[in-house]
Amino acid sequence: MEFPLLSLITFIPLAGALAVLCLPKDSRRAIEAAALAASAVSFALSVWLYFAFDRSTAAMQFVERHAWIAADAVKVDYYLGVDGLSAPLVILTTLMSLIALIASLGIKERFKEYCFWFLILEVGMLGVFESLDFFLFYVFWEITLVPMYFLIGIWGGPQKEYAAIKFFLYTLAGSVFMLLGILALYFKADPHTFDMLALMKIHGTLSFRFQVLAFLAFYFGFAIKVPAFPFHTWLPLAHVEAPTAISVILAAVLLKMGVYGILRVNYCMLPLGFEWFLPILVLIAVINIVYGALCAMAQNDMKKMVAYSSINHMGYCLLAIAGVSATGFSGAAFQMINHGIITGALFLLVGVVYDRAHTRDIGAFGGLAAKVPVFAGLMSLSCFASLGLPGMAGFISEFLCFLGAFPRWKIYTAVSVLGVIITAAFFLRMIEKVFLGPLNKRWADLPDMNTRELVSVVPLAILMVALGIWPKWALDMMNTTMVSLAGLFK
Amino acid sequence: MLNLALLKSEIVLGALALGLLAADLLLPEGRKRALYGLALLACGISLFLTGSALLPAPGVFGAGVPLPLPTGGGPAAALGAGVGTLWSVDPFSLFLKMVVLGSTVLALLLTMDDSSIPDSEAGSFSCLLLLSAVGMMLLVSATDLLLIFVSLELVSIASFILVGYERRNPKSNEGSLKYFIFGAFSSAVMAYGISLFYGATGATSLVAAKPQGAMALMGLLFILVGFGFKAAIAPMHFWVPDAYEGAPTPVTAYLSVAPKLAAMGALARLLTALVPAGSMDLTLLLSLLCGLTMTWGNLVALFQRNIKRLLAYSSIAQAGYIMMGIVTGDAMGLQGILIYSFVYVAMNIGAFALAVALAADRSDALDPYDLDSFDGLSSRSLPAALAMTLFLLSLAGIPPLAGFIGKFYLIGSAVGTAHYGLAIVAVLNSVVSVYYYMSVCYRMFFTAPRKGARVPRFGAGIYAAAALALAVTLFFGVFPHRLAVWAQFSAKFLP
Repeated sequence: MEFPLLSLITFIPLAGALAVLCLPKDSRRAIEAAALAASAVSFALSVWLYFAFDRSTAAMQFVERHAWIAADAVKVDYYLGVDGLSAPLVILTTLMSLIALIASLGIKERFKEYCFWFLILEVGMLGVFESLDFFLFYVFWEITLVPMYFLIGIWGGPQKEYAAIKFFLYTLAGSVFMLLGILALYFKADPHTFDMLALMKIHGTLSFRFQVLAFLAFYFGFAIKVPAFPFHTWLPLAHVEAPTAISVILAAVLLKMGVYGILRVNYCMLPLGFEWFLPILVLIAVINIVYGALCAMAQNDMKKMVAYSSINHMGYCLLAIAGVSATGFSGAAFQMINHGIITGALFLLVGVVYDRAHTRDIGAFGGLAAKVPVFAGLMSLSCFASLGLPGMAGFISEFLCFLGAFPRWKIYTAVSVLGVIITAAFFLRMIEKVFLGPLNKRWADLPDMNTRELVSVVPLAILMVALGIWPKWALDMMNTTMVSLAGLFK
Repeated sequence: MLNLALLKSEIVLGALALGLLAADLLLPEGRKRALYGLALLACGISLFLTGSALLPAPGVFGAGVPLPLPTGGGPAAALGAGVGTLWSVDPFSLFLKMVVLGSTVLALLLTMDDSSIPDSEAGSFSCLLLLSAVGMMLLVSATDLLLIFVSLELVSIASFILVGYERRNPKSNEGSLKYFIFGAFSSAVMAYGISLFYGATGATSLVAAKPQGAMALMGLLFILVGFGFKAAIAPMHFWVPDAYEGAPTPVTAYLSVAPKLAAMGALARLLTALVPAGSMDLTLLLSLLCGLTMTWGNLVALFQRNIKRLLAYSSIAQAGYIMMGIVTGDAMGLQGILIYSFVYVAMNIGAFALAVALAADRSDALDPYDLDSFDGLSSRSLPAALAMTLFLLSLAGIPPLAGFIGKFYLIGSAVGTAHYGLAIVAVLNSVVSVYYYMSVCYRMFFTAPRKGARVPRFGAGIYAAAALALAVTLFFGVFPHRLAVWAQFSAKFLP
């Protein structure tokens, strides 16, 4: 038997969660240690995955397959594997989980429960990207919902309960339709199977009508997660009300589950439905880009602004997917990673200022650059990365997205470029209002970032620059898979 | 062929139930709690007799001995399966008998720690509980309308008394009376239906009947009303909330699972036996009732402030999910009925167990079962709050809990047999149900505890019931294989 690397990456956080549950709630040190250790080991193993990953093949790697339910009516395998699309997302998930957990160390209330739910959430997210069996995929998909409900609802902001239940019901409504899609595909396959790789091969036997209906069922589930217009309304609320570290996870990982699903399921399994939907998809992508950016511009709350900028950035992913080219897919996949890193850093930094000032109102600050230079530097760096300044990671992926989409959708791509300008406008406006000008006297004794905050943000800042200068580190991993994916489309 | 020996587990349980009454006379006051132990023992013996017939199912425990599907007497009867004059003991009914016995055990465990039933009445209470279990066990085996009627009456009469057991509680009396009036009415309707059926076909047996024509259809519909009442299918559910709220909570827990599941099982047998033979298509009617049942139960549950009423309405909705398996009627649907029944017992009685434990601390309150008993439970006892959360999530059908597996089978069979409308109604209902199940979680985790609220204490019985239920809910959610194989083996009728 081969070394079960993916299982270990996925279930070490579960072991950590159970360990945390068994510890008494007063022994904070032990809880911190257990949670961090579980998350760190999982991350270390995923670094190993990065180096051991074979970049020359588009096939699934590190495959683990065992029968799980073997009844006549339902045959389910415990079936894990990663390719160039999912492996980077797995690494992103473990990295962002570790960072978010470090950033959570400042949480004072009910820390034990927090760590428990957080680690369960990590299990669910990792499982979604690794599952190659639809049943398993759905199980992991749903596992992410419950911890998120509690994490937002207990440790969130003023409207946390409402945000929590809205998030839960909204995403559940989407995912139950995904379940119907999964079942419909299952019964269409002969012999019936939940094996996602096998289901990718049967689309020749599926009628156009079936593909369109199944496409819509899956799309509904994934679009809510992305979130794609008009299903985005849960996102600003959930992001703003969630505690800092959970906003990071929401933006960095949970949104990626939707884009991942659209690529893995809608595109690979239902090509006729995808082709039919393509003109609508590109329209939605442009709306996400322009409308998301305009909404972000209208915000005075920094966190809300970053939240809306996520809608804008996910729009680039959708646009690139609509381009249906290897370049576009690479762009989308790379944009997912970059958005995770950059927006994760932005949410952390907004959390830093909120912890100190207890306000996120852009207009309430001014001249902070001289007062808190380290914070100002990191914040500006992240903003520049987010708005796509050349030399930073965001530029590469956005450029690839446009490049991939342009041959097929010239006008739409041209309109989308407007989004970059608007993004630049609102980020620069924020930098100006918060960091430049005369110092607002209210903040005369604002302390700069502490060690914990630096430990969580600086690695992300380094990655933003590193991936901007040498994107090959990430793109190499994806390239073969993306070329093979793009080759599926006639 | 009489084959009375097939019913050995029912006969033993019935005899032991009556024996409990005798033991009640002999035991001195103050030692009567021992009767609960005896009742548990009786269930255990019956469970063993039932289980020994089913457990050698292939693949369930290790390799196992492949059980030849018995078709009558002979060596097969030695295994405990076969056909009698009015009954048929087949894997399907054996499975449901075990579910009924399992829920009886859990209900007895809850009763041991519930203050609403004084210890002095332990004997008569357990006797009634066991007798109603006997009725359900006969019901799921019955292949003749006469036996169906008699066993339904046995269940009903015992349940009427059980609901009214708190003599000094006006709500209990009200619930019992409503239950009785509705019950008597539906029995009469059912008896009329049986007589029409007899008139049309000349027999009461389900086995060889070929119901045709308007009279047989009328008869069948009236019989359906009787079952609908027992299984609380909308619009025949009106007695449920009051009876459930008024009854002693262990009885509520019991009534919300066992009779429903037994009636569903018998209904499945009835319809599989009669409908194909009679060239009548009841699918549309049944799927309408099914959709109505889940939707109505869920929508009304949204507005409840009392945990017993909330679980009562949710159990109406749950019956609707189970009914999907009857509507589709394919192998996956029948297996879904069995799997869901099994896990439903655990998750629903588990939720009731925690409600009982919390209410025990609130003798001062006007309504000890108000939802505010759950306020801040996570800070008082995190394990209890997590256990309740798991039961509720399982009821809502969130993986990886056992409730999801059952729901998956049922919705899967609806999709597989092209009942897409029903499948959509079912998944939307799951979303709605999350709202009210989560409202309990909201109280447990998001709300501060009431003043003076203590750490809940768990008596040994409640603790055992909750732990057992939790183990089933978690284990079969994560490792559903054995349950699936077991259900696959069991979803077989004998004529």
